[in-house]
Amino acid sequence: MFDQQEPGEEEIVERVVRALKRPVYIDRALDARVMSEIARPAPAQPMTRRAWTRRAWPWLAAAAALAAIVIARPWSRDRTPPQSGALQFVLIAPQAASVSLVGDFNDWDPTRAPMRAARDGVWATVVSLSPGRYRYAFLVNGVEWRADPTAPVARDDEFGSPSSVVTVGGRGS
Amino acid sequence: MILTALLLVLAQNPAQDPRYDRLDPDTRARVITIVDSARGVGLPSEPLIHRALEGAMKSASSERIVVAVRRLAADLGTARLALGAKATTPELEAGVAALRAGASPAVLTRVREVRRPPVTMALAVLADLVASGVPADSAAAAIIVLAPSARDAELAEFRRAVERDIALGAPPAAATSVRSVGVSSVQVDATARGAQPGKP
Repeated sequence: MFDQQEPGEEEIVERVVRALKRPVYIDRALDARVMSEIARPAPAQPMTRRAWTRRAWPWLAAAAALAAIVIARPWSRDRTPPQSGALQFVLIAPQAASVSLVGDFNDWDPTRAPMRAARDGVWATVVSLSPGRYRYAFLVNGVEWRADPTAPVARDDEFGSPSSVVTVGGRGS
Repeated sequence: MILTALLLVLAQNPAQDPRYDRLDPDTRARVITIVDSARGVGLPSEPLIHRALEGAMKSASSERIVVAVRRLAADLGTARLALGAKATTPELEAGVAALRAGASPAVLTRVREVRRPPVTMALAVLADLVASGVPADSAAAAIIVLAPSARDAELAEFRRAVERDIALGAPPAAATSVRSVGVSSVQVDATARGAQPGKP
């Protein structure tokens, strides 16, 4: 390939070399212009995301700490958050025409928790309760009080009719 | 907003609580006096109102309702002395149940000392065990052993297990003792496993 190099190429190379060897004339004011550009204060740039994060992190940390304190409430002795649990109450009463669940959780008001007859005399309802201990009973046909046969009985029955108790736990220890 | 205003009105004038309308006038006046006195010394009013409503719903006499409410107010006070001024309403109610089951105030205080709040379930299980036939001393001893580390769900399961054993014919005290040892050993095993990371 080199042997077949055309004479014109050598001439081109020689011209390039001559051009490169030619002295470069620099404007005398160049130094002054460059230095003035360097000395000029940089225009305000829009804050990058990273820079914003760097500046804001102390505030974010403070807000997070405050939120943690508010949520944890270390000043509160009872640190169990309110929880509620849906409990199903069931009574088998084949002869009943109506059954209501009444107790501390509904102010002993039979209209607030009527039970539904599923089939074969099985009456059921679901109530959402927050942690605590509740007394309750079933009111059958509006006149007959029955305790829940599947729950502990209320020992301190002072009204001559049976009641049961249910305890809904919190997180506990 | 409206609800808040209503609650504020009720808080300032409890006699306007519409639930009192379910009591006859004589009972109502006497119950309100007891509730106001209780509230004045910092006791919760809801358990007292609930007890009055229970009595009214069960067609109890006025005298019987008033006696029951007054007795409950006194027991709530005893429970608060034992559990401390910061005891919650559910804790106080469970404390009353435990006291009426035969636990001493000292037992309530001990449970409060060894268990992280709330102590509602621990005291309720104590009362329920006694209701199942377990002697109060045995029930209290078991709860004090379990209270420091057993979770609420474990205490509830402990109660159910004891009741099952009793229903199958086991002596109540023996069932309580055996089951409490079972719960304790499970907790010890769990603690030991937790102390050795990497082991199953």
